[in-house]
Amino acid sequence: MSTDHPPLSIDKTGNNGQEPAGAVLVCGGGVAGIQASLDLSAAGFRVYLVEQSPTIGGGMARLDKTFPTGDCATCIISPKLVECMRDHNIDVLTMADVVRLDGEAGNFRAEVKQRPRGVDAEKCTGCGDCWQACPVQNVPEATEPFIPGTPLNAEQTAWLDTLVDRYQGDPAPLIPLLQDINDEHGYLPRPMIEDLSARLEIPLAEILRVASFYNAFSLQPVGRHVIDVCLGTTCFVRGSGILLNRLEEVIGVPAGETDQEMRFTLRTVRCIGCCALAPAMRIDGVTFGKVKLDHVADILEQFE
Amino acid sequence: MSQPIRTEDDLKRLGQIGAAMLYPKRLKILIGSASCGIAAGARDVEAAATEAVEQLGLDATVSRTGCIGFCQREPLVDLVLPDGPRLSYGNMTAKRIRSLLEAYAQGKDLKPKTALCRRQSEEHLAADETHEYPISTNGLAEVPEASKLEFFRRQQRVILRNCGSIDPLVFEEAIARGAYRGALRALKQMTPDEVIEEVLQSGLRGRGGAGFPTGRKWGFARKSPSDVKYVICNADEGDPGAFMDRSVLEGDPHAVLEGMITAAYAIGASQGYIYVRSEYPLAVSTITHAIAQAEQHGLLGDDILGSGFSFRITVRRGAGAFVCGEETSLIASIEGHSGEPRSRPPYPAVEGLWGKPTVINNVKTLASIGPILSRGAQWYAAKGTEGNRGTTVFALVGAVKNTGLVEIPLGISLREMVFEIGGGMRGKRPIKAIQTGGPSGGCIPESMLDMPIDYDQLSQAGSMMGSGGMIVLDSGTCMVDLARFFLTFTADESCGKCAPCREGTKHMLRILTRICDGQGTEEDLALLERLAAAVQSASLCGLGSTAPNPVLTALRYFRDEFEAHIRDKKCPAGVCRNLITLEIDAETCTGCGQCVKVCPVDAIRGQRKEAHRIDPEPCTRCGACRNVCPVEAVVSR
Repeated sequence: MSTDHPPLSIDKTGNNGQEPAGAVLVCGGGVAGIQASLDLSAAGFRVYLVEQSPTIGGGMARLDKTFPTGDCATCIISPKLVECMRDHNIDVLTMADVVRLDGEAGNFRAEVKQRPRGVDAEKCTGCGDCWQACPVQNVPEATEPFIPGTPLNAEQTAWLDTLVDRYQGDPAPLIPLLQDINDEHGYLPRPMIEDLSARLEIPLAEILRVASFYNAFSLQPVGRHVIDVCLGTTCFVRGSGILLNRLEEVIGVPAGETDQEMRFTLRTVRCIGCCALAPAMRIDGVTFGKVKLDHVADILEQFE
Repeated sequence: MSQPIRTEDDLKRLGQIGAAMLYPKRLKILIGSASCGIAAGARDVEAAATEAVEQLGLDATVSRTGCIGFCQREPLVDLVLPDGPRLSYGNMTAKRIRSLLEAYAQGKDLKPKTALCRRQSEEHLAADETHEYPISTNGLAEVPEASKLEFFRRQQRVILRNCGSIDPLVFEEAIARGAYRGALRALKQMTPDEVIEEVLQSGLRGRGGAGFPTGRKWGFARKSPSDVKYVICNADEGDPGAFMDRSVLEGDPHAVLEGMITAAYAIGASQGYIYVRSEYPLAVSTITHAIAQAEQHGLLGDDILGSGFSFRITVRRGAGAFVCGEETSLIASIEGHSGEPRSRPPYPAVEGLWGKPTVINNVKTLASIGPILSRGAQWYAAKGTEGNRGTTVFALVGAVKNTGLVEIPLGISLREMVFEIGGGMRGKRPIKAIQTGGPSGGCIPESMLDMPIDYDQLSQAGSMMGSGGMIVLDSGTCMVDLARFFLTFTADESCGKCAPCREGTKHMLRILTRICDGQGTEEDLALLERLAAAVQSASLCGLGSTAPNPVLTALRYFRDEFEAHIRDKKCPAGVCRNLITLEIDAETCTGCGQCVKVCPVDAIRGQRKEAHRIDPEPCTRCGACRNVCPVEAVVSR
């Protein structure tokens, strides 16, 4: 296909007092491409939105929620889809590829090849009857097998082998496996969970979702010693907040972080059930009760 | 595998072996070795005791037991005398146990003045038997009897029947005290419907917090047609300040297994899960050990007790998410997903784990089942009051003299709890309120102390039974600050699935923080109430719908404190940093200088042995000096 436009005037200092002219070609009809097209159209440009798949929407249309707000993905993208299709300034070219691009900034000439759809888009009302009638249905697209980024060494592979074997026959082995890995290493090393993803055939995204949901898992390496300060109610009433402040001061990092020498990781925990010993903290599993602020330095000295 | 248990005679035979271990014909040194005991130093005491026994050539056994209940005095050690009573000693150290055992070896008196109490008999509750200790003559009569101590006098131990009396790792000891009698009766003599009827008649309500009748829950699950059903024990005890589930799992794991086996038989389940917090490593290992023992003795696996019924139990560790105590979240977590709740109905009893009918019961509920079936529903229903039958466990902590695990029949008053069992207030400050139910509960003011403790009364007062945390607060606690503390907790633990809870708790927290910082306005209180109502009614699960309770009860009973923060910019309890100044009372100060050492900004000046002074300019009011002061000389204005 081919359409001619006067060259677009580009002035890096501003719009030079001129009205926008020419057309912009946007490659890719995901949410970024759609939003770019809408913004350009609003700024007065003619837009060609080129998308290689049969529909625009991209990855976001397949998502349930967006991070970190947990907003509904469909609710974000659906209005934009509709708007994009209605906009007279935007030409949506689906099943199309950019095959050639000449020129320079401000004056490009693009050649776009649109593959046949087999349906006359002008006449189609979108009734869906052909879809129903088609005898070849639900042919799944072959997904690309997941290949872990960093392969494990022989020792790690053997360790993971025995671990996975232990949960043979367990209908939901993911969380126990992650717990064992976290217990062994203090955190979840990325190569391990990538390998686990391939073994269990659970998408990496799902594993990361589970791993980031629970407090017990850490995706970052932890220090040689882990301090858990109890912030249960009794400990709180008896001053564990002050205790935490003191530890932050002595170690030099806020709660949830590890110092530079990797000596201590300072964390908080919701009640370790030793309320009679409030305020309490636990270092490497050993509980210290009725901790006084002037004992903090002495206690930490025991851990190198 | 040992000979599987089939009949009552088998149980009796094992029980005799256990009784010989419980009451040996020589000295028995019993070390309270639950998590809290270990934290207080029980392992050192045990090592010292073992060493002393060896060196002194004593004919004695050193044995571990679960939580004896008197947390205040940990580490606890009991001496079971071969010719006398069982003596309890508190605040034990390696040195003290050594000198105690030396005294025993030399035939001297056993320092009766330092003993906490003595026991003349042991009730084997589930077996309906009593073991009498011999009456001793050598000067032990002056040790008070446990049943006469104010801490124990009002207690009735059903759930905690064996905690602190048996070695949780020794199967025969549990049997000797009546474990699995109830399960045997249920599986061999009763139909599942009869079991459910018995539990229904006992009036037992779920001890997890909401108090749904256990028998009805089982009935729903039984009626739901399915080839596969599940029983889950909810041991994800996340409420800060509650640790009784841990104590039961650590001290008497077979009580929980017996309850699960009975529940499984009643509803027709073949697989069980115990979902236990990973913060409780000792509970995990103890219950895992108990499951292996039960399998060995034919109490789990195929053809249990020769009844043809099969049931297996798997332990699942929690992964540190408070919301997983909510049943649908817990199910999602066992299924291997992030623990987010779903809307109910359908209830788990109809559609639960992997879409199959599932009964989820709390540890305390399940631990009550054994005695109900061995002693009968009528026996159990005689405890407590109308509509609130039986006993429940509270973790009594905070500003009282006696803290620890307390099991009481429902219906006794809060005042009795604090001033009889708790022994009154510790320190000079008067009582201000009682917090029950953790972050889902609320604060009950001093004026309502005569209220009986039961499900309905507590929820009418705006609080709830919850998992049984009971924290006694004195006048040094700021209610606004406490409400903020709970909101920090719930806002942090909200799973984020539904907007009312995710956003609502965050905004309520923001308002409370504003008030604590002295930036609150008059409109904030009304806004807080409106938000609370929205969060309460629109949240998806129990976490959200109960999250406003601490705020609402604080507003209901302590509104003047909020107003003082807003109007006068004062914190009456002297807690909120921005609204106070710290001073040292020159009269009380002994000049020990401890505060100087901990002050992070060097704001304290003074000569040794003379009254010190705080310079208000650099002082950040962190409270560190108040925390270390041995004579409470640091006061806030």
